[in-house]
Amino acid sequence: MDGSTKATNALLSAERISKSFGAVVALQDATLHLPAGEITGLVGDNGAGKSALIKIISGVFTPDSGLIEFLGKPANFASPAEAREQGIETVYQDLALAGNLAVWANLYLGRELTVSPKFLHILDKRAMLSKTSEMLKRFIRDVPPIAEPVELLSGGQRQVVAIARAGAWGSKLILMDEPTAALGVVETKAVEEVIFELKRQGLTILVISHNLDQIFRVTDGVWVMRRGRVVGYRQKARTHPDEIVSMITGAAASAEAGA
Amino acid sequence: MIFGRWSKLAAVARRHGVLIVFIVLVTGMFATTSTFGTYQNLINVLQQNSIIGIIACGMTFAIILGGFDLSVGSMTALASVVGATLMIDLGTLGIPVGIIGAVAACLLVGATNGWLIAYLRVNPFVATLGTMTVVRGLIYVATNASPRFGVPYSFTTLGLGRLFGVPNPAILFLIVAALLGFVLHRTRFGHYVYAVGGNSVASVQMGVNAGRVRFAVYVLVSLCAAISGIILVGETATATPQAALGYELTAIAAVIVGGAPLGGGRGRMTGTIVGVFLLGVVANGLNLFGVSPFWQPVATGLILIAAVAFDGYSKRGGFGA
Repeated sequence: MDGSTKATNALLSAERISKSFGAVVALQDATLHLPAGEITGLVGDNGAGKSALIKIISGVFTPDSGLIEFLGKPANFASPAEAREQGIETVYQDLALAGNLAVWANLYLGRELTVSPKFLHILDKRAMLSKTSEMLKRFIRDVPPIAEPVELLSGGQRQVVAIARAGAWGSKLILMDEPTAALGVVETKAVEEVIFELKRQGLTILVISHNLDQIFRVTDGVWVMRRGRVVGYRQKARTHPDEIVSMITGAAASAEAGA
Repeated sequence: MIFGRWSKLAAVARRHGVLIVFIVLVTGMFATTSTFGTYQNLINVLQQNSIIGIIACGMTFAIILGGFDLSVGSMTALASVVGATLMIDLGTLGIPVGIIGAVAACLLVGATNGWLIAYLRVNPFVATLGTMTVVRGLIYVATNASPRFGVPYSFTTLGLGRLFGVPNPAILFLIVAALLGFVLHRTRFGHYVYAVGGNSVASVQMGVNAGRVRFAVYVLVSLCAAISGIILVGETATATPQAALGYELTAIAAVIVGGAPLGGGRGRMTGTIVGVFLLGVVANGLNLFGVSPFWQPVATGLILIAAVAFDGYSKRGGFGA
């Protein structure tokens, strides 16, 4: 397989992952590698197993069989919190921001700074406010107003905040499930700029997207899934959208079988 | 549009609407009724609204969390009956025992509410309607629905005494409001109440223990009800099985009038305090104008509807949208 040669510089490898939900086989011997420091795409039709695979990587599901290696060590995470501790952040499709909370409060959600004495858990709002700008400026050119509730921001600004939050906490790998599905053209561009900025600062990124234009714009290579299996990896420079489409639909496989 | 002068005014009205209405109301009362501003009347207003105020402080947490607690009236009566009965039967020694017993009984109900809502994921309406009915029923069974008298006279200092001219219940209300206001607005726990009320899925994804926050809130509400019930014993020196009927709805009304919508995620402790006294001053005003007390629930209901309608209006920028 084209991708197996990548295993040497992989930040994360998933080897022969299988997962069933009752009688439904979601994943069958799925194997993929994420090259360190690259943006990798993950495409496939609805129900191909993309979301199940990233939920296994991020600790939401445990696989029935198979091995995940992260930084060269076995890493079958029991919970998203465990994955997060190791440096794997997920940006969910539904954003995972609390609309009624300010930008700074969302950035620090679950990681609030407190003043001493620590056992009283009194929030250090001033420190969080002042650090929020710095943290967001690392990845975002136009930082949205950090004291405003997130619900007053546009969809694009919210997604930018969610992605920057994932990158801000010293994570190494960021998983994104359809990061721009609900966004317009300009907002999509802003989100993609943040994704490029994450890469520039050394992070590894996995992007699930239905949008092949976007896959070819932002990624360095792409994995294709079909019916619970990983059918292959293609470097962007050596493939073409038509080839990816035929891998997604299975036209490539049936053509090979016929030949 | 956001920076237009009118929408700025609208934003101020939305943020401080209840406070403005309250100030106008109090000013109007001072201007039209000479008896309103007397020391005795203002003391009355404080005395009469402290018990409901303390309950409303706890209710603020439950509503910001996206729920509410219908069992607070029953818990207040439970604290009153348990506390007063122990004080009557045990004499002076009964005072500390009665206070502890009242608090323990309410905490048990609060923990039950919290467990049902946080861990069994029972809808707060159903869970607290259930405990409200069960607790009130058990009180009637245990007391045969008849009051008992004879709490040591010294204990009425708590309910009827004054410190520097201010009724003791009002001082306790102030302490509870200040303390819980601090917890709500300054601590991580209060912050998580907003987070879980605003988006519980997101909060859990980011590592917030939403179950523990929910459980703690319903226990906190029960503690407020216990304090109210103990003050009630101090005011009446009686174990009253029928006490605090309907307090849950008055407390919820005060919190909503104070700007916390039932959907959760929003609201402030200062808003609740203004809400409590807005309803209290209206009731007092009707009384001073010689209107039949039967009109008081009518006024409370109309204020509640007006407050919620105005909130919806200012959010959408127009009716009917």
